Amino acid sequence: MKKTSFHFLRVGLAITFLWIGVLIFKNPEAWGGYLQPWAAGLLPIPIAQAMIGTAILDITIGAFLLLDFLPWLAAFVGAIHIIIVLTTSGITDITVRDIGLLVAVLALMIDSLPQWVLNKIWFVKKQQMLEMGQSPEIK
Amino acid sequence: MTSYALLFTLSAIGISETVYLIRARIKSEKPVCPIGGGCALVLTSKYNKIFIVPNDILGLLFYVAASFISAFLVIGVGPLVFWYFILKLSVAFGTILSLFFTYLQWRVVHAWCFWCLMSAFTIWFMGTIILVSSLI
Repeated sequence: MKKTSFHFLRVGLAITFLWIGVLIFKNPEAWGGYLQPWAAGLLPIPIAQAMIGTAILDITIGAFLLLDFLPWLAAFVGAIHIIIVLTTSGITDITVRDIGLLVAVLALMIDSLPQWVLNKIWFVKKQQMLEMGQSPEIK
Repeated sequence: MTSYALLFTLSAIGISETVYLIRARIKSEKPVCPIGGGCALVLTSKYNKIFIVPNDILGLLFYVAASFISAFLVIGVGPLVFWYFILKLSVAFGTILSLFFTYLQWRVVHAWCFWCLMSAFTIWFMGTIILVSSLI
């Protein structure tokens, strides 16, 4: 990804996460209404408290992305968060928007993964060795 | 609430921009200058700080405060009248300061800095939003 487009995506997603966090803080009970009954039943704490926790997580992810501090980690946690949201809220009219956000945050994560993380992913390491003309089996 | 959403968005853009400039200054790197080409000249001029505080730090503090106040106004963290007054006052002050810095680039330094102009337009846009929302 080009550097400029990466920063556009990073700041755009940061604002999305931050603003959603603020909106959840404004009315946590209403946002809790998006949870499917089976998911709400699994919560060990009241739904409002769980939603405030979600708001704090959203704002933290947004702040990390905005400040360009560990963007890959923020994007990774954001992706897991959106997957949980998709799972627990079921298929609704806005599911397609969450899928778009998930793919955007995954793109950001893939593009900002540091080298030491890439070295731990076996198929990336294999690909890099193949590009250098080395056989991964010898190594 | 729409106006607060816009103010929050603009503040967040301002935060990301000033953080970039602060990082570049700390690392002694020249910032990317997509338009104008005079970023380094403007940012290293003698007008790059007020007293001892660099302008990028002042900008960051302003944008952080504006984003917090916008969030407080949306969530309903009081005293709301006080927060709104502080927001209007700080945006008005920022607007005047941005006009002054733009004049300095135009007439004194004779160079245009993309990031400084972007920040100025961000603050002027925030001022316009507050003005329009007060009129509606």
